[in-house]
Amino acid sequence: MDELGWLSTIVIITLFLGLKKLNAIIKNPLLKALTNPVLMTIMLLALLLISCSLPYSQLANDSQLLTSLLEPAIVALALPLYQQFIHIRNNLILIFISCSIGIINATVMATLLSAAFDAPPQLAASVAALSVTTPITLLVTESLGGIPSLAATMVIFIGILGALFALMILRLVGVHNHQAQGVAIGTTFHAIGTAAVLTEPQKISAFASVAMALSALLTALIVPLLYPFLSQALL
Amino acid sequence: MDVKTSLPIKLLPYLISSTLIVGCLAVAKLIMNWLQGSFPAPLLGMLILLTLLLTKTVKEHHIAPSAKPLLNFMPLFFIPAGVGFIEHLELIKQQWQFLTATLILVPLTSLLLIAFVIGLFKGRAEHG
Repeated sequence: MDELGWLSTIVIITLFLGLKKLNAIIKNPLLKALTNPVLMTIMLLALLLISCSLPYSQLANDSQLLTSLLEPAIVALALPLYQQFIHIRNNLILIFISCSIGIINATVMATLLSAAFDAPPQLAASVAALSVTTPITLLVTESLGGIPSLAATMVIFIGILGALFALMILRLVGVHNHQAQGVAIGTTFHAIGTAAVLTEPQKISAFASVAMALSALLTALIVPLLYPFLSQALL
Repeated sequence: MDVKTSLPIKLLPYLISSTLIVGCLAVAKLIMNWLQGSFPAPLLGMLILLTLLLTKTVKEHHIAPSAKPLLNFMPLFFIPAGVGFIEHLELIKQQWQFLTATLILVPLTSLLLIAFVIGLFKGRAEHG
């Protein structure tokens, strides 16, 4: 790593923290979801690399310092998981079951679509773990032989879609139960979707946080076992 | 309090918490290396730490000092990986219909299915 290497690390940090600050000022929940700082930083960096025709490998190499902290950060996810577990003792079984159903559905649905569209195996593996928070997607997708960065970008897009439409759709189909709304949104749309319902009745966001934490755990346990079986059967 | 004596004491919680986190990660890597499996080691590390917390072997405040900043800045650690999709633009262009269908149908079906399952048990009342 040379001086230029440090420069790209500093650019990434500055860009992300700046966009995060800007996003924090925005009050409108629609606009807030659309200007998601993680997605904006990724897209701006991608544009920068493409327009200057710089190779991605350079950026990947230069930002190793940041990337190396992802693994301990994932281990640290045990803390919010534990904190959320305390809250769900009463509803544990129902939330556990519905979360698992959501995750299994996401993997089955994605594999069915891969079969229907005749997608190449690498792409099929890239969409198998989309119902979970981004860092977990990266790891699980890599272990399945997919493209982790593509899965990560898709997960962020899904989160934004959820932030915009999830509650509206649920109300439209007549689901008004706060627990149902919260668990469905937390499992399917993880952090970005959960952040969007923080302004809603407290129960929705509490259940969404619990489901988000639980889906991180369940995806890690279910998808690496389920996907090889599904891809053998369907692809 | 004297700065010289208080500084190591202030740093101690960070040292303990980061040792615990890195320790879980190292044990997980050793296990996965031994098992030769493809399960991601950091996820196993997370499960080990969660087990330690649930069994009260490790307390929340033991890991919080390092865990909190790691979690707060987590997006920074995966943003470089996220940019990697630019190496696959050709594939994305070819398969955009598939990717768009996945982007909409996967979350939509999960959302409705989960809401339906909970609705089945809890009824559709406003406050479940």
